[in-house]
Amino acid sequence: MNRRHFLKYSSLISTVGALPQIAFGAGKNQRQNKVLVLVELKGGNDGFNSLVPYDDPLYYDYRGALALPKRNLIQLEKGRGLAPSLKAIAPLWNAGEMAWIEGVGYPQGILSHFRSLNIWETASNANQVLHNGWLSKVLPQYKKGLHGIALNTGEIRLGPLDSTNLNSVTMRNPYSFLKQSQYIADIPLSRQTSAIKHLTDKQHQLHDLGRQIKERMGKTASGSPYASRFTKGKLAHSLTSVTDMILSGVDAPVYKVTQSGFDTHANQLDAQNNALFQLAHGLNTFASIMKQNNRWNDVLVVTYSEFGRRVKVNKSGGTDHGTASAQMVLGGNVRGGIYGKHPNFNNLDANENVHHTTDFRSVYGSIAQQWWRQSNPWKPYGTLPFLK
Amino acid sequence: MSVLGFSEARHLVSRTGFSTEWNEVNRASKLSSDQVINSLLQQNNRRTPAVPTLSSWARTKGLANNPARRKMVKRTARQEGQRLQTWWIKHLLTTRTPFLEHMTLFWHNHFPSSISKTKQAHFLYQQNTLFRQQALGNFGVLLRAVAKDPAMLLYLDGYSNTKEKPNENFSHEILELFTLGRGHYTQSDIQNAARAFTGWTINSQGKFTMDTTQHDTGVKTFLGQKGRFNGDDIINILLKHPRTAETIAEKMWLEFINTTQPNKSTIKQWAGVFRNSNYSIKQLLRAVLTSKAFWSQHNRGALIKSPIHLAVGTLRTLPYKLPRQGIEHHLNILGQGVFQHPSVNGWAGGKNWITTQSILLRASLLNNISGARLNPYGDIARQLPKASGERLQQWLLATKPLNSIDLTQEKQRLVHQLILDPAYQVY
Repeated sequence: MNRRHFLKYSSLISTVGALPQIAFGAGKNQRQNKVLVLVELKGGNDGFNSLVPYDDPLYYDYRGALALPKRNLIQLEKGRGLAPSLKAIAPLWNAGEMAWIEGVGYPQGILSHFRSLNIWETASNANQVLHNGWLSKVLPQYKKGLHGIALNTGEIRLGPLDSTNLNSVTMRNPYSFLKQSQYIADIPLSRQTSAIKHLTDKQHQLHDLGRQIKERMGKTASGSPYASRFTKGKLAHSLTSVTDMILSGVDAPVYKVTQSGFDTHANQLDAQNNALFQLAHGLNTFASIMKQNNRWNDVLVVTYSEFGRRVKVNKSGGTDHGTASAQMVLGGNVRGGIYGKHPNFNNLDANENVHHTTDFRSVYGSIAQQWWRQSNPWKPYGTLPFLK
Repeated sequence: MSVLGFSEARHLVSRTGFSTEWNEVNRASKLSSDQVINSLLQQNNRRTPAVPTLSSWARTKGLANNPARRKMVKRTARQEGQRLQTWWIKHLLTTRTPFLEHMTLFWHNHFPSSISKTKQAHFLYQQNTLFRQQALGNFGVLLRAVAKDPAMLLYLDGYSNTKEKPNENFSHEILELFTLGRGHYTQSDIQNAARAFTGWTINSQGKFTMDTTQHDTGVKTFLGQKGRFNGDDIINILLKHPRTAETIAEKMWLEFINTTQPNKSTIKQWAGVFRNSNYSIKQLLRAVLTSKAFWSQHNRGALIKSPIHLAVGTLRTLPYKLPRQGIEHHLNILGQGVFQHPSVNGWAGGKNWITTQSILLRASLLNNISGARLNPYGDIARQLPKASGERLQQWLLATKPLNSIDLTQEKQRLVHQLILDPAYQVY
């Protein structure tokens, strides 16, 4: 413990009076650097038009005018190509820092946005309602203090970070958060009733998060030094905040950002192109800043979406709610390649949707076990070797 | 009979209504607890503000069946759902019978039916009327009515539960959430109950009807009993099961006593009262409100205010003006939009209301309501009760404040500090 830490620690004791172990930054000896950036693709991203299975003739049969011609794709491997709108992140594939997982879903896929998102975010079965985000099964063991920050773009949801045993918070950006949280006073912890204990614990955590951000981001508190590197848009704005917080040493192991615009029931080509373009540019800028600052090996970017799209194009030039989809993984420690298994287009379910080949909980399990080195709460679903 | 006095009256008023209206607390303080409880249990005001215009079932169905206008169903539901929210919130803010509304809200959360799924605001209005009618009435009557309630038939797919394609959604929830609770039934009980409820649907006038052509008349095995059961038989069996009364008693504990798990013997006792009175909600509530646990000093400040308690309660208690855009939006963001439950589980409530995120939002809501922009300096102070700073603290907080607050300061500022103290979040 160095002197600065010691001073911080002791001042905490004197003002709070008790229980320093729940304070942020108190778990000094377990400095945990492994960051997960979750990217929610809101609305249900069409995986078949992101990672295109151009070697499957049925793809062209089913997709008709929506099919992306092979000649326009960025060739990867095993008969897969990247949609042209994802061009900006293609260099990460060449560097071996991009993985894709195909056919990710769960049995009896639900076609409601709300329910299926809830299933993804709580790691439940289709017919089961769970209340705690999946990260609540991993992060409390991994580290104390702050567990995650969800960057919101209006809608206030913690998603996979939503749980009473997680210290997580949503914010539009750290600057507005600082403004809001300055009104939150630190208060003495009280155990008078269980309700009051919970309340004072949470308020104390919130206050400490505000203090941590203020301390660590002090120099940049008036605005981000990286803002000009990113393009405009909500995802870019959120990724700017994530960049600032990671580089200034805010110790959240998870950040969640959102790109919307994937519910493409009509005129899909333009809509999805636009959303994927934003995604590719945002993530590529984020990756290059992390590399410049030698943090890319500590960062893992994983996309998720409530479901994929129907295989067949609909009458409006779009696709309806589907089941399994392809998810993307990026990072300096990623073992580039294509994992999972392309769903069988010859075998569709009653709604003409594909059957999933890879359970989404195998992705979560791999992250728990291989990224954070924690025990795997989803062992029965196995793991995937997309991390080095 | 001894009178309650200020602090006990405050406790009773705050736990039964949404707030601690000065006049109510002072009136109750001069009465005995039995007198106040008796009058609470007699609340019976069915009058509500003018009901907004809501689409009929015929219109909703007409739109849904017309491919060109199908999208209107969603849009209409959204607009009418908002109108319905405004309507009920207005009533919550102004009603003279807050205990009745509190219990209406309690049943609204026990039997959720959100607008997002049902897309029929008129049915939700009818359901709300049912909850108000039976709020202090009879649980058996209520349960039977809910099972045939059009909003519930839509919400849990009873509407499309037919003998060829039984839908288990309603059966699942009546067992898990409305009566027995998890662990007291099997998957086969759910399947057999679903068969018994087949044919329960909505006719073209928007009323419950039993479509005999869709009813499965075969023999069902349910909770160890065998027979050609229909839905009513299933409900009869559930009402004879001891767990049903216990489930409601457990919820009463969390609603009126403490956020911690209930004491088993208290639950057994309350459940006994409930069953012996043939599910009289009044008798159960009398047992709750006269219990040792209810009055125990250990359970003061042991409940966390729901967003409605916080927002509606503040506006009912203090002379702040209602923000022009209302509070519905705040309540939605804080996760307690009425007619807008996140899932069939309803609002989880209790400690779940307080997260690092919601603390900021709740503080900003209170800042908004009490802000100087809406409430010019001097206005509030003039309308506040003429009482000492110490009394104002006792009035607004169930426990001592957690911040140190100067009780001798100017009243408007004092009240502002008191409601921003974390102790104001509990009751």
